[in-house]
Amino acid sequence: MYIIDLSCISAQETYTGAIFEEGVKLHTERQYWAVEPKYKGMVPLNLLRRMSKSVRMGVGTGIPLIDRYKDIEGIIIGSANGSIKKSISFLNQIVEYNEGTLTPTDFVQSTSNSIAGTLALMGKITGYNNTHVNNGIAFESAILDALLLFEEGEYNRLLLGGVEEISQANYNVDVLRGMFKEEEVDSTQLLHADSPGTVSGEGAALFVVDAEKSDASIAKIVDVAQICHADKEAIIEKAKQFLARNHKQVDDIDALFLGLNGDNRTDYYYNHLQETLFPHQGVYVYKNLVADYYTVSSFAVWMAANLFQGKTMPPETIWKEVPDTINTVLIYNHYEGTQHGFILMERP
Amino acid sequence: MEAVELKEKLKQQIIDYLNLIDVEPADLQDDSPLFGPDGDLGLDSIDSVELLVLLEREYDLKITDPKEGRKVLTDVNSMVQYIIDNNKA
Amino acid sequence: MTKVLVTGMGIISAIGNNVAENRSSLQKGQTGIGRGELLDSRYVEVFPFGEVSTSTAALMESAGLAGEKGMTRTDILATVAMQEALEMADLTAAQISSSETAFISASTVGGMSMTNELYRDGNKIGEPSDYLSSYICGAHTLKLAKRYNMSGVSTTFNTACSSSANSIMFGAKLIKSGRAKRAIVGGSDGLAKFTVNGFNALRILSPKPCTPFDRDRSGLTLGEGAAFLILESEELVGDKPVYGEVTGYGNSNDAFHPSSISDDAIGIVASISQALKTANLDPSQIDYINAHGTGTENNDISEVVGIQKVFGGLPPFQSTKPYTGHTLAAAGSVEAVFCLLAMQHRELYPSLNFTNPIEGHNAIPIPQYQSDCDIKHVLSNSFGFGGNCSSLILSKV
Repeated sequence: MYIIDLSCISAQETYTGAIFEEGVKLHTERQYWAVEPKYKGMVPLNLLRRMSKSVRMGVGTGIPLIDRYKDIEGIIIGSANGSIKKSISFLNQIVEYNEGTLTPTDFVQSTSNSIAGTLALMGKITGYNNTHVNNGIAFESAILDALLLFEEGEYNRLLLGGVEEISQANYNVDVLRGMFKEEEVDSTQLLHADSPGTVSGEGAALFVVDAEKSDASIAKIVDVAQICHADKEAIIEKAKQFLARNHKQVDDIDALFLGLNGDNRTDYYYNHLQETLFPHQGVYVYKNLVADYYTVSSFAVWMAANLFQGKTMPPETIWKEVPDTINTVLIYNHYEGTQHGFILMERP
Repeated sequence: MEAVELKEKLKQQIIDYLNLIDVEPADLQDDSPLFGPDGDLGLDSIDSVELLVLLEREYDLKITDPKEGRKVLTDVNSMVQYIIDNNKA
Repeated sequence: MTKVLVTGMGIISAIGNNVAENRSSLQKGQTGIGRGELLDSRYVEVFPFGEVSTSTAALMESAGLAGEKGMTRTDILATVAMQEALEMADLTAAQISSSETAFISASTVGGMSMTNELYRDGNKIGEPSDYLSSYICGAHTLKLAKRYNMSGVSTTFNTACSSSANSIMFGAKLIKSGRAKRAIVGGSDGLAKFTVNGFNALRILSPKPCTPFDRDRSGLTLGEGAAFLILESEELVGDKPVYGEVTGYGNSNDAFHPSSISDDAIGIVASISQALKTANLDPSQIDYINAHGTGTENNDISEVVGIQKVFGGLPPFQSTKPYTGHTLAAAGSVEAVFCLLAMQHRELYPSLNFTNPIEGHNAIPIPQYQSDCDIKHVLSNSFGFGGNCSSLILSKV
């Protein structure tokens, strides 16, 4: 399928595109908060007042796209946590008021599908609507869903996206799980820090995707694959099968987008894949820009699409020297070394 | 508390509970319908539940009959009157 | 294009811990709704619930998982239902872990049923609990994928009450596209203080067991459960017993309001119509409708309107939620199991808790048990918050 337009809110100036002119922002904390646009004027205040951050970000990226392309027929979103802050807020009410009379808004907004639901509501899009919540491959699942829908032949244009928000409570749970760095490390040091853990991010990347190629096509999402609970050799095998299934040789890949996140317990997957199978290819990284979250591979897709559009990637994203001409990229990302996703993209 | 003071306080609470953006107490008319086609705040059924929660949490007034609830939530005046009538001002 | 055949089912709900028990309750018109004995909530004094009568510990014991840490109610319900489905379909370990076997599940509450633990962990109070990796919606899917060494496509849906209908749809699509040859599809939701309080805050819980499609209906009754279907492509099935075929599916969005359906039932009409289209069936060929029928004022009238718009009249229909309560994410797959049972055994089950039809509509659910029914095609509806409408058509093979 073909990306014809895209929008991204992240911890960088991606919404305005200023990242490509002004360069990347340095982050020094362990939470990379998203840079949000001004929503007033874009979203009726009556709806805005109820929205969770993930719904706001989904709407902030999605509604301008829906307005621009009146024939978007369906919406597919990947978001592992959905509006988790609203969930926690409702949960806190339950405990603090001992299940007394509670306010319903937080509950209604807390369901993971409120992003796709709100976009449908505001855009009056009555077609296919789904939300995937499968942790670190939620966005890859959303891509697969879109590919299947196009294969069936009933749809021509969809809105596809990955969204995630940080909530303090969730961050706390993940800290207890050992997800994040204990020491202070800034974004320039993150991927070199030889220690466990990474940093926490949030964002939304939405894409208008078409079944058919056209002059408006910016990038092609060729295929997607995933595997869970695999060792590093199984990842090599999976990558090979994935390429073979798409009639690609290793040398057809010009560059990799790797989800290195500075966690020395699991970054070896990336290094092993790159050294074993793709020793000659260039490598881009991105989690030093936007940190890690369940649907962060959507940011990688956003970057790759910008690359195909001719944008110059910030130097901080170049992990290994990249060629001048890039026509085909492989995005490989994993979450905690447990869920692994591959996305194959090429110039249309 | 005097009715005037109560009205001001209630208006701010309505704004807080409903998370109304860019609305000040002065913007809320005393007798403008809160709900329905003539209401200009665009409130819906979920908001009506929120306002009933407001009455219970802030004024210890629990309304369980939906018909009574609709009457009490007609406008700011009716809410204020209900609070006063039940000696919760 | 290959047919998608059902070769196994597994279910646990308020009316039974397995397929046979569920069927028996349906035949006898025996509800599972009553006072919540296991649920930790003050609302057990106020509302009835469709609770699975076995404790989490006992379920874990019988599943051979006694003592395993971090298992939530959602996790264990899913595990029990999965075990039954896999056994019924007679799948080997190699087949389950094959890269051609997809695993598609659904949940709305995930591990948030561990309300007190999440509150403490989330606010950094006391020692971390065993549930840190169990809270998220996709937790049970990941755990089961690990338990069974699964290597195929996997995802978890959360589209509120239509979630597991989407699981079934997605599994069928994967098989038709050739990306999987087999799919384990369904969903699970445990009763949780979180959902009880959420629905109560919206004031749509009924103080008495739900009365879908009744003139005097007063809201929904929450339940819990899990159900999985084993879908296999025709070429894999061989001589195995087949319980039905997934022939049609539709997914649309009502785009009207976050938590209610439009009076015109736009989303409902669209999802049903699409399901009929993919099944290549005329409305007149549907022999039975398992409605979403929650018992809320809004859903039931909208659903009647929607069905009438597509069908002209009303084929034999009912909601089975008076048996199980509303099992949220599991509803789609739980009710698909009931549809398959009806088809397989050529029977229709009595509708419970119905007295008077909605004013102005002669919409009367199936009154009593009927045997010897020729049921060739059934429609199952599931509609969720966020306007998500999903419909499935299952057909006799």
